[in-house]
Amino acid sequence: MKYSTRSKLIASFLGVSFLVGIVSLVAGMRLVNEHLLGEALNRVRQNLNAANEMYVTRVKHVKTCLSITTLGLAFISSVREKNTTDLALRLERMARLAELDFAGLVSEDGRVLCRIGPNALPSSGTHAENPLAKMVLEQRTSVSGTVILPVEFLIEENHELAERARIPLAADPDSSSGARDEISAGLSIAAAVPVFDGPLMLGVLYGGILLNRSETFVDTVRETVFQGEVFNGRSIGTATIFLNDVRIATNVLTPEGKRALGTRVSREVKEHVLDKGKLWADLAFVSRDWYITAYQPIEAISGARVGMIYVGVLEEKYADIRRQILTVYSLITAAIMLVGAGLGYLIARRITSPIQRLIRASQQVREGSLTPDLGQPERGEIGVLQTAFKEMVEAMGRRRAASEARIIHSEKQASVGRLAAGVAHEINNPLTGVLTYTHMLLRRKDIAADVRSDLQVIVEATERVRRIVKGLLDFSRQTKLDPEPTDINRLVAAAISLIENQALVKGVAIKFNPGENLPEVTLDRSQIQSVLINVVINALDATEPGGNIRIFTAASLSGNGVALKGIEITVADTGCGVPPENLNKLFDPFFTTKTVGQGTGLGLSVSLGIVQRHGGHIRVQSEVGKGSRFFIWLPAERKMEHEGTGG
Amino acid sequence: MKVLVVDDEAIVLRSCRMVLEAEGCEVIAAASVDEAMAILEQQIPELLLIDVKMPVHNGMYLMRRLKEKRPGIPIIVMSGYATSETIKEAEDLGAAIFLPKPFTPDELADTIKAVLANTRREA
Repeated sequence: MKYSTRSKLIASFLGVSFLVGIVSLVAGMRLVNEHLLGEALNRVRQNLNAANEMYVTRVKHVKTCLSITTLGLAFISSVREKNTTDLALRLERMARLAELDFAGLVSEDGRVLCRIGPNALPSSGTHAENPLAKMVLEQRTSVSGTVILPVEFLIEENHELAERARIPLAADPDSSSGARDEISAGLSIAAAVPVFDGPLMLGVLYGGILLNRSETFVDTVRETVFQGEVFNGRSIGTATIFLNDVRIATNVLTPEGKRALGTRVSREVKEHVLDKGKLWADLAFVSRDWYITAYQPIEAISGARVGMIYVGVLEEKYADIRRQILTVYSLITAAIMLVGAGLGYLIARRITSPIQRLIRASQQVREGSLTPDLGQPERGEIGVLQTAFKEMVEAMGRRRAASEARIIHSEKQASVGRLAAGVAHEINNPLTGVLTYTHMLLRRKDIAADVRSDLQVIVEATERVRRIVKGLLDFSRQTKLDPEPTDINRLVAAAISLIENQALVKGVAIKFNPGENLPEVTLDRSQIQSVLINVVINALDATEPGGNIRIFTAASLSGNGVALKGIEITVADTGCGVPPENLNKLFDPFFTTKTVGQGTGLGLSVSLGIVQRHGGHIRVQSEVGKGSRFFIWLPAERKMEHEGTGG
Repeated sequence: MKVLVVDDEAIVLRSCRMVLEAEGCEVIAAASVDEAMAILEQQIPELLLIDVKMPVHNGMYLMRRLKEKRPGIPIIVMSGYATSETIKEAEDLGAAIFLPKPFTPDELADTIKAVLANTRREA
């Protein structure tokens, strides 16, 4: 129980900060993911555009080179004269400048006059169909673009080219065309331009670049589009040229670190790009890593989709950014939780420490202390609790003091009572004798005046003894209460009427202010009246002529811990007052400040006994020289004690 | 008038005798209940003064016996100390009045006169 409030508070703080942290982490990561991926896809699309632009530029470049060559007059005359030696030189020079893999000249009848490479001057006879020359001869205009070159063509051009074009297919269970086990055709960027001599077409100049195993294009894309950016030792950007769905030129690496030639694209991409001719941009697993990729189809001059161009960005770079963000978010969450726990601890301590002090204070009260240490007063509900606790303990203290005082008083009364009963019996018999004999002597006429005067002294002294003994007996005689419902105002008025003359003689005014709407009280009228008379006479004795005595009645709650309904009779005088050191002794039997013979010192003690047996109490306030106030409180509901001592 | 005074204290007996004789009464004194019982066998007083607390038998005992044997004689009960219970018991047993000790001659005389006047009025 001791730590549960604190740990509950800390746990709730932890829980709240954990929840907030997790929610913001998840939401933040989602946003970052979407944003990052979107950004990356955009970038990759742009990269693909750039790569495509480079591809198209290459095509134009080839065509331009060929066109410029065909416009030279020396070249035209060599073609006209079929000067193959000169043409071969010119072709070699052109191919070297334009970085062409193959180039050649076809006569208007379709035969190859000369070409670059080992088969520069073909022997007449059979020859493979030249798809480029064929198109130009038919259309009499130049063509350029992507062309599929059959293996026969390549062999005839240059068997090294055929060798370069041959790419074995990687084993791929997902492949749809498992029958083929190698690629032999070539994918090329090529152009063919007619050579005119005036309106006469002399032949066709053709040339191109074989893309199979070509590193130039893909690596140029990597270097220019991605600016050679490297992440963890690997290039961020990759580019690939596909012949159909097979990689024929790429810088995507296999797990072994080689260029992933002969591997295929996923069926999904193939269908999307090759079959439907659409752009693809998405996250994809390529060879051995995740890439953010974009694919676009390559169309041949004929319009058929013959391949694809691809660029991809290593996803790991973005994953790393995500990891960094995740780490930062997690650290922030942990920090919030730490702060939450600390805050929870502090607040819990603020709340529980006054409660702990209250618990310790209640333990002190249990062990008997009535002045427990409550510490600094707090604000708010805890402060209210502290005040309530303090008031409760004080009320307990008052009740305890009151009940102790009552016990002491009744013990005193009992012992004095036993003594008085015994003494009275023994004294009253001889006292009867003394009184009888002195009075009888006084009746005689023959005694001298001085003797008579002495006898008178004996009579007075004996009367005093008689009064003292009677007082003792009244004090000890705890007769049974005879309670009946009473109008307290009437009772007070009756008591005052008995003393009024006495007060009038002394010159002290008695004023009575009866309270209104008082509850009816049930009490022993004669005993309470004797209490009232006693208290008022005491006030009268204490008040000098010219002073006054004021008496009030009022409905009042008992101020003794428990609030009981009742009435309070206040007797206030303007008399000499009681010194503080005597206030406590006021109700002790035989305590009196009156001159010897004036009082027995039993009146207030007896009065208190009577009031207490009614369940009430008497309080006194006094200031020397100003006067005293006696407050007699009596309960409205009957709750009286019956402790008469008979005998 | 014949008055029987019962008290174990000699001083009380002598005091009563002095006062009552001064009032013109004939006083018979008994120092115990037994003595009083013996006297009552032979004489019938017009008034009894009885103390409550006495050795052997107390005044209440005597009153109970009187109620059986000689009812109707007025009784004054004296005591140096009495609770309301003893007073009530005495009244129930037929006591005309309760007289607390000590008393002066006048108080005793007045009490007797009052009791006798009361008895005569009732009779």
